[in-house]
Amino acid sequence: MRTKWLPWALIAPTALFALAMTVLPLGYSLLTSFEEFRLGLPPVFTGLQNYRNLWSDNNFHSSLATTLVFTVAATAIEFVLGLSLALLLKEEFPFHGVIRSSLIIPMVIAPVVVGIIWRLLYNADVGLFSFAVHALTGKNISVLSSTTLALPALILVDIWEWTPFMFLILLAGIQSLPLEPFEAARVDGASAWNIFVHLTLPMLRPVIVVAILIRALDAFTVFDQVFVLTQGGPGTATEVATLMIYKTAFRFSQFGYGAAMAVALLILVACFSAAVTRAFKGTV
Amino acid sequence: MIRRQFLKNSLGVATAAALSSCRTKDSRVRLTFGSYSDPGVDVLKDEFLPEFEKATGIGTEWVEADFSGWLQKALNDGETKAGAFDIYVMDDLWVPRFAGAGYLANLEELGFQLDSDFLPSAIDLGYWPPKTGLRQPGIGSSAKPALFSLPLVGDVQILFYRRDIFGANPPATWEDILRTARQKSDPGKRQYGWVTRGVKGNPIMNSFFVLLHDFGGAEFGENWKVTFNSPQAVEALEYYLSLLPYEPEGVAEFDSDQEGETLLQGNAFAATIWTGWCRQTDDPARSRVVNQIGFSVPPGNVKRVAKLGLFMAGIAASAPHKTEAVEFLKWFSRSDVQTKFARAGGIPFKMSAFKDEEARSKSRWLDAILDAMTVGIPSPRTSDWSKVEDILGTHLNLALLDKGNAKQHLDTAAAEATAFLKTAGYHAD
Repeated sequence: MRTKWLPWALIAPTALFALAMTVLPLGYSLLTSFEEFRLGLPPVFTGLQNYRNLWSDNNFHSSLATTLVFTVAATAIEFVLGLSLALLLKEEFPFHGVIRSSLIIPMVIAPVVVGIIWRLLYNADVGLFSFAVHALTGKNISVLSSTTLALPALILVDIWEWTPFMFLILLAGIQSLPLEPFEAARVDGASAWNIFVHLTLPMLRPVIVVAILIRALDAFTVFDQVFVLTQGGPGTATEVATLMIYKTAFRFSQFGYGAAMAVALLILVACFSAAVTRAFKGTV
Repeated sequence: MIRRQFLKNSLGVATAAALSSCRTKDSRVRLTFGSYSDPGVDVLKDEFLPEFEKATGIGTEWVEADFSGWLQKALNDGETKAGAFDIYVMDDLWVPRFAGAGYLANLEELGFQLDSDFLPSAIDLGYWPPKTGLRQPGIGSSAKPALFSLPLVGDVQILFYRRDIFGANPPATWEDILRTARQKSDPGKRQYGWVTRGVKGNPIMNSFFVLLHDFGGAEFGENWKVTFNSPQAVEALEYYLSLLPYEPEGVAEFDSDQEGETLLQGNAFAATIWTGWCRQTDDPARSRVVNQIGFSVPPGNVKRVAKLGLFMAGIAASAPHKTEAVEFLKWFSRSDVQTKFARAGGIPFKMSAFKDEEARSKSRWLDAILDAMTVGIPSPRTSDWSKVEDILGTHLNLALLDKGNAKQHLDTAAAEATAFLKTAGYHAD
C-alpha cells in the first residue's frame, strides 16, 4: 500500500506547484473572458459577449494580422541566417570560440534595452541608421514614423536579437549529426550542395522544427521592443496583439475583454503550433 | 577545539546581531510608498523622506517601477486588497480610476483637513466624483465629492521658449510662434522653430491638448458628446500641422525625452513641456542653452490654458498603516515644509511656497508654473479617458504623418470614440 502511493506523494508538491502556476491562471483568464470586469465592481457574467465583440473588432483583427506578418517574416529570416551562420562556423578555426561567443551577445541583452538601443539608432534626426541612409542615398529617412517602414524596422530588431538563438540550436544540431553518411557521400563524389540538400537538411529536420517552433511562439508574443520603439504606431502599423491586450486590460481597464483577446491569441498560437507539429509528424 | 569554540562564538554573535537588528526594524512602523520612477519625485524621495523619518520616527520605504509597471502593480494591489503599499503615487489621470474603484481611502474620514493655502486647481484633482464638470455614468449629480488624494509634486505643461530668439518677453500668441519659426528655422543647421511629442496615444494628445483648448475646443460637450472634431478643434489641429515644416524630421516618433533633448541641445526655439525639465535647462552638464530658456503659460488664442499633470498621493484602502500615512500627508503638505521643498528645487502645490523669495530666486521658473497651474485644466475626469485618448491620439499621429486632412482625421476619431462611449454606457442613443 505504501509503495503504491509513495510515487504520487513524491511528485505531488511539484504537480501542485505546476497546477497553481499554469492551470489556475489560465482557468481564471478563461473565466474572466466571459465576464464584464470593470475596476472596483463585481464581475458580471456576460457569456460569449466579449467573443462576439472580438469577432467584429477590426482593430483586433488588424493586430492579429500584424502579429502574423511579424512572426512569419522574423522567424523565416532568422532561420535562414541562423542556418547559414551555423554552416559557416561549424568547423573549428582560429578564434572560433571568440567569434561564436560574440555572436550570441544580442540574445543576452534584455529586450527593453535592445529597444532603447535601436530607438537611438533609428532616430530620424541623430540616429546612425538615418545617417547611413542619408550618406548613401542623400535622402532623409524617418523609419519609425513611416507606416511602411516601421514594421520591417521592428522585424530587423528581432532578427538582430534572435538570429543567435537559431544559430546556437542549429549549430548544436549540425555538430551532433553522424559523420559517416557525409564521408560516404563525399567518397561517392556528391557536391557540397547535394550533401546539404539530401543529407544535412533531412537529418537536421527535427532540430529545425523545434527551433522554428520555439522562435515562432516567442515572436507571437513580442511586446517589449514594440512598446519601447513604437508603442504600436505610427497609427496602428505596428500594433501587435500582445500590445493591444496589454492596453485593453491595464490602460483601459477592460479586463474581461482583454482576457478574451488573450484567449483568442492562445487558441491561434496553439493552432499554429499544432499545424507545424502535424506537418512535420514523424520527424520530431 | 579552539576552532570549534571560535565557530560557536561567531554564531552566537551573528545571531545576537541579527536578532537585535530585527528588533530595531520592528520597533517602528515603515510606510511603503509605491511610485513610478520620474526625476520629478527625486527631491521628495532623496531629501524629504529622510527628513520625515527624522521628524516623526516613522520609517519609509520607496518602491518604484517604470510608469506602466507601477500602474499594473498598483491596480493589482488595489483590486486584491493585498495591502502591499500604504501610499500610491499616481498620475492625476489615475485618480478617477483608483477612487472610482474603491482602491483609495477617503482622506477626510481619516482626519485630513485642508487649509486655504492649497492651490485650488491642484487640490481639485484629488476629489472624486469631480467637484465640477461632467460626471461619469452611474454617478448621480447629488453624489458628494470626497477627497481621495492629495497633490504630491506640482506639474503642468508650460511654454519653454528661447530668449535669444524671442527676446525677453514670451511669445504672446500662437501666431508669434509660427511667424518666428518661419523666419528663423534652418533645418540645415538643425535649428527648428518648434518641437513636439508625436508618438500616438497619450504623448501626442498631451501636446495637442493645450492647442485644442486654446483655440476654443474641448474633448466633450454636454452629456459626454464628443466635440473634438468641432471647427475650433479642426482649426487647432490645422495650426499644429502648420508647424510641421519647422520641426525636426520624424517628430511623429518623438516622445518627451526626444522633445526635451532637442530643446536642451539648442535645436528648437520653443515647446510646451512638463515642468520636470525646468531644472535641467540651467544645468551646464545637461544643457547647451543655460539661462537662455524662458518659461511662461502657453500663449492663448480664444483662451489661455495649461495642461495639469500633477503627481498625486492616495492612501490605499487596504493600507496597513493608514494613521502614519495620513501623518505623512499632513506633514508634507504643511506650508513650511512645502516652502522648504520649493527651496530644495521641488515643485510645490501651496501658494505660500510659490511666493517664497528664496525659492523663487533659486528656481526662476516658479512664477510661470504658478501662473500655469492657476489657469491649468486636467484631462477629462473619467476612468475611460485612457481609451478615448488612445483613439484620438492614434488619429492625431496619423494626421501628423499625413501632414494634413485635419478634419477627416478628427471626424474618424470622433466616430470611433462615440461608438466606444455608447458601448460603455455614456450615450443612450
